[in-house]
Amino acid sequence: MLNSLKLCMHITHRNWIVYKKDLIANISPTVADPALVLVSLGLGLGSFITNVEGMTYMQFLAPGLTVATALFTSFFESSYGFYVRMTFENVYKAMLTTPIGVKEVVMGEMIWVGLKGAVMAVGVAIVLALFGLMSNPWLIPTLASVGFLVALPCGALGLLSSALVNNMNQFQTVYSFLIAPLYFLSGIFFPISQMATPVRIVAEFFPLIHGVRLAQALFWQRGIGEAFLYSGTILVVQSIILCALAYHFIKKKLIN
Amino acid sequence: MITATSLKKNFGDFSAVNGINLQVNKGECFGLLGPNGAGKSTFINMTYGTVKRSSGDLKIFGYDPDTNSREIKYRLGVVTQDNALDESLTVLENMQIYCAFIGVARADRKKRIEDLLEYMNLGHKRDALIQTLSGGMKRRLVFVRALLGNPELLILDEPTTGLDPAVRHLLWGKVRELHQTGTTIVLTTHYMHEAEVLCNRLVIMNHGLVAAEGSPQKMIKEHAPGYVGIFNIEDQNKIKSIIAGRDSYDFVEDTSGVYLRTQTLSDLTSFHSDHGLTPLQIRPSNLEDVFLKLTGKELSVDA
Ligand SMILES: Nc1ncnc2c1ncn2[C@@H]1O[C@H](COP(=O)(O)OP(=O)(O)OP(=O)(O)O)[C@@H](O)[C@H]1O
Ligand SMILES: [Mg+2]
Repeated sequence: MLNSLKLCMHITHRNWIVYKKDLIANISPTVADPALVLVSLGLGLGSFITNVEGMTYMQFLAPGLTVATALFTSFFESSYGFYVRMTFENVYKAMLTTPIGVKEVVMGEMIWVGLKGAVMAVGVAIVLALFGLMSNPWLIPTLASVGFLVALPCGALGLLSSALVNNMNQFQTVYSFLIAPLYFLSGIFFPISQMATPVRIVAEFFPLIHGVRLAQALFWQRGIGEAFLYSGTILVVQSIILCALAYHFIKKKLIN
Repeated sequence: MITATSLKKNFGDFSAVNGINLQVNKGECFGLLGPNGAGKSTFINMTYGTVKRSSGDLKIFGYDPDTNSREIKYRLGVVTQDNALDESLTVLENMQIYCAFIGVARADRKKRIEDLLEYMNLGHKRDALIQTLSGGMKRRLVFVRALLGNPELLILDEPTTGLDPAVRHLLWGKVRELHQTGTTIVLTTHYMHEAEVLCNRLVIMNHGLVAAEGSPQKMIKEHAPGYVGIFNIEDQNKIKSIIAGRDSYDFVEDTSGVYLRTQTLSDLTSFHSDHGLTPLQIRPSNLEDVFLKLTGKELSVDA
């Protein structure tokens, strides 16, 4: 068990070595994208909206942006990134001749996206706090847990699609029909309660909505305990189920 | 070390390995020969569990690779047929991360890597990205990678493909040295000479089956004994008419010449004295003749 975990960390470490070679190019979009949304929607559109749940639109939007960052960074890493490593770079082919097995490959990649999600969420939260959008900046480090918990299920979705697509183009379809709805219907841009009941029920199964609730609780300092108890648990359960599924299908890809 | 019993692997309804029985003993250098698609790499991949067998039994160090692959893989070094080097990393980074994977103690890594890189003449490329290496350099690096863990069992899937003759000899030297110090080696190759000089025992596979087994010398004696004379292709009709009806000759025509195998040397030299035909070259028969005969590329006289 301990040995297995060590092997996972080697895979995570391998990804970090590659990632840090191009640090600026890798990090800038994850910070630039939410900043763009904040300016265009928060300042632009926000000037027409004076009050959402008793706050400015900027304040409303802020927590969701940290979570969206975790979604994108984990999904892209484990879809395009993983697929390229698996299919074109044959990275895992050599790994599998070593004590590493498919289980370690999947866990190592999950730890990697989880950590990435955590760091990115904190990074974005710092920027937002500088804009004065976080009521208690001392809570910034706790957003790491939110980033991590969101990145796991979303990363697992990415791995799952890597195992199921026939070529890279098909990620576009996954993005349009799964990731984009997740992004737009998880209560980042408007309160989830305003949506039609069927949509609300479906959205309740999205990992993202629970991440958004956690982030909102932390940003607005409202019901933090309950949020972690309810949404936190759901995210953990979803992560376990999706990781198991991802493992099952990735194994079929890597072992003939 | 390796025991395969009625081992089979199907891909869909195609049978890549079709019920082979073979054993590799401790300390052997075991050759696995066979034409393209014979099932060599499929067999090799089954030994460390990246291909799951369809039926039969397979044990490596007494472990089943389908259930205990990790135990096996800690003791294994592999040169895969496709290099599978990490293209995003440099030569040194590739080797370092690999040392971590196989559990080489941190303190030993640097020296182990440097020594092997120097041996394979790759020292000057230690900081190069994989993409900037030549094909043969990548191949050499894969060999280095396989040796990092001082494996008990070394599996080499066409290790010398794409290597220049000098480097090939270098690699042979290392393989011999390892063999002498007790490493068990499984080697696949399409260079018959390589198998002949390195392997103490080998099998020839064809269509997923073992077609023949034994030491190189025994195989030659059994399947293609004698001498081969190579004649000018223009004399083929004359030679055909001379040997017609005499079954002590094996006859192969090829764009490069006419290959005639006989039991004794005098059967060949008599072509000069009796018919005025001088062979371009006469040599003892070798593993290549056995290979061609067993894998169905040879034309018999009566065919
Ligand atoms: N993943 C796979 N799916 C389907 N067929 C496969 C797969 N892997 C191998 N095969 C088939 O199995 C057969 C044996 O392949 P294998 O790679 O074992 O041959 P080989 O003896 O190593 O040949 P070579 O000398 O060309 O390396 C081939 O016909 C090949 O097409
Ligand atoms: Mg092969």
